[in-house]
Amino acid sequence: MIAIKVENISKLYRLGNTGTGRLREDIRFWLKRPNATRHLLWALKDINFDINQGEVMGFIGNNGAGKSTLLKIISSITTPTTGRISGRGSIASLLEVGSGFHGDLTGRENIYLNGNILGMKNHEIKNRFDEIIAFSGVEELIDTPVKHYSSGMYMRLAFAVAAHLNPEILIVDEVLAVGDVEFQRKCLGKMKEISGRKGKTVLFVSHNTQALQNLCDRVITLHKGNIIDMGRPADVITNYLKSADNNYLEQSYDAPASAPGNDYIRIKKIAIQYDTEIFDIRTPFSVKFEFWYNDPEPGILIAGIHLFNMAGECIFDVASKGAQLQAGLITGECLIPGNFLNNGAYYLSIVFVKDTTQRLFYFEGCLSFNIEDFRENTAWFGKWMGYVRPSFPVILNQQHVL
Amino acid sequence: MKHNESWDWEINAKTKWFDWNLREIVSYKDLLFRFVRRNLIASYQQTVLGPFWVFIQPVLTTLVYYIIFGKVVKISTGGIPPVLFYLSGILFWSFFSDCLNGTMYTFLQNASIFSKVYFPRLIVPVSNVISHSIRIGIQLLLFIIIYLYNIATIGMVGNYYIFITPFLLLLTAGFGLGGGLIISVFTAKYRDLDYALQFLLRLFMFATPVVYPASIVPEKYRFWYWLNPLTVITETFRAAYFSNEPVHYIRLTLCTIEVVGLLVLGITLFKKKELKIMDVV
Repeated sequence: MIAIKVENISKLYRLGNTGTGRLREDIRFWLKRPNATRHLLWALKDINFDINQGEVMGFIGNNGAGKSTLLKIISSITTPTTGRISGRGSIASLLEVGSGFHGDLTGRENIYLNGNILGMKNHEIKNRFDEIIAFSGVEELIDTPVKHYSSGMYMRLAFAVAAHLNPEILIVDEVLAVGDVEFQRKCLGKMKEISGRKGKTVLFVSHNTQALQNLCDRVITLHKGNIIDMGRPADVITNYLKSADNNYLEQSYDAPASAPGNDYIRIKKIAIQYDTEIFDIRTPFSVKFEFWYNDPEPGILIAGIHLFNMAGECIFDVASKGAQLQAGLITGECLIPGNFLNNGAYYLSIVFVKDTTQRLFYFEGCLSFNIEDFRENTAWFGKWMGYVRPSFPVILNQQHVL
Repeated sequence: MKHNESWDWEINAKTKWFDWNLREIVSYKDLLFRFVRRNLIASYQQTVLGPFWVFIQPVLTTLVYYIIFGKVVKISTGGIPPVLFYLSGILFWSFFSDCLNGTMYTFLQNASIFSKVYFPRLIVPVSNVISHSIRIGIQLLLFIIIYLYNIATIGMVGNYYIFITPFLLLLTAGFGLGGGLIISVFTAKYRDLDYALQFLLRLFMFATPVVYPASIVPEKYRFWYWLNPLTVITETFRAAYFSNEPVHYIRLTLCTIEVVGLLVLGITLFKKKELKIMDVV
């Protein structure tokens, strides 16, 4: 039995042009003048798919792929430009948690307010009220205005309400991306519990490929408003990661004149290379670089690589041994083993130093890349803690038998 | 597979005219009253005098008008005790302008929640109007106390038409809501309207018998003057409380037709545009 049928859904946005000229643009648009097509963007193009009752469907794609727009259309928040969606069963969407929370109202009032906004009736909230408070863990402050809550408590209370919704179709967008690790664990656990219930249909957008893999029955990849892939989570996610274009894995230049650098150093090429299909935490990779060296008074040259995470924290700073080199083309390489870095996004810089003190050239943020997560035999799929992710053995031994 | 053709809900590219879907609004009545409660609680949080502001505002305004228009400019009140005269005008005018102002920025003020959750958007302006109705209900008690005091001390005439008061309030709310709904669709798109509207609203107050009686309006403008629903409402109210004249049924009927027409137009336009408008806010 089909729960949601999506047919020929397209969505056209008119971009920009706020302020003056608005009315003129509008009139042009009504008159269908060709000029009016300048600021148009198809956020979704002719989308078709069915979701069966009880199925958990995941959506993945880069920013701007149309995931959120699609969920907004299915949630009736905005209308499609063309097409039709038909469905069976009550529907509730969580595109954010804590919608309508009012700082001046108490936690108790806000539970009712938020619950009503999400479509719950007073008696339903009343029945689950104790459960909601217990889940949120803010019992003592339930009669305090929420503006006095810490942001963590605020989020917990907000999610607690959302988690006790009981629609037949549930739409969830990225709400799990917030909060601390402990909170994420709780949310994902609840998500799994909800999606595991019989007959519950869930639409789930996330960047967390691990969560998608664990929770979903099928996954759809969106790219620039089109469905480019749909099927078993493992296959779809693998394809998505292979094609991921958020990485900047190589820079190369043909001639010194156009290459980045200065009189001493010109970068010919810098690249990250790996042999596997997917770049995940297990993958060893190397940073390979080539540069033109043109120092009239060559000294002892050192090349160093600085790796940063996206928060700008330096993960490591490694350097070559000092070498007496002549002007010309030089190549270098740094090998980084697998099972070393944690998953996440990184960027790196390369530095050239002469005679240990004189910085010849610093090529900042020249490459960026994403290390995907990989896990086996574990039920935990929130963000793994730590900067590094070594696979040191942890061994258990039975000493006694009771 | 015949049963596969029966869907519970459907989303289409085209929204229909006259698709008010009142049943859906009824199913969200818990939310409606929750918003009313929120509006009332939240508006007096962190104020020292709290709910007393409901009284203080009209009393202070009455006092100011009494001094400026009554004592300084000396505009006639048509034989009605000045305090009651100004208070009655102020109550209806502020009720109208609160309903209108509370409705006409619906999309702008609720953009963040409207872009994340679906519920019938009409709930928001209607809950606003209900909150203001509760306020004016309380304010009318104040009016009635002063009114009874005046009857006891100076012996005024009034007549049984005072029981038409709830209907007059309903008309005022409908006028504010209907007008506000229409305007809300445009303020979302064209922000300039905001400036123009606040100016027009101030002008409109002077086209309404708030600080002067309708009887001083020159004969040649009267036809147009009485087309203003608020003129009919305010003057009907005053006639009921301060004279023994019967209700002017023709004017009241015309006023009702205008208000109902505006409300139907407002709800229709609002329902038609409520989702599409969010793409431009």
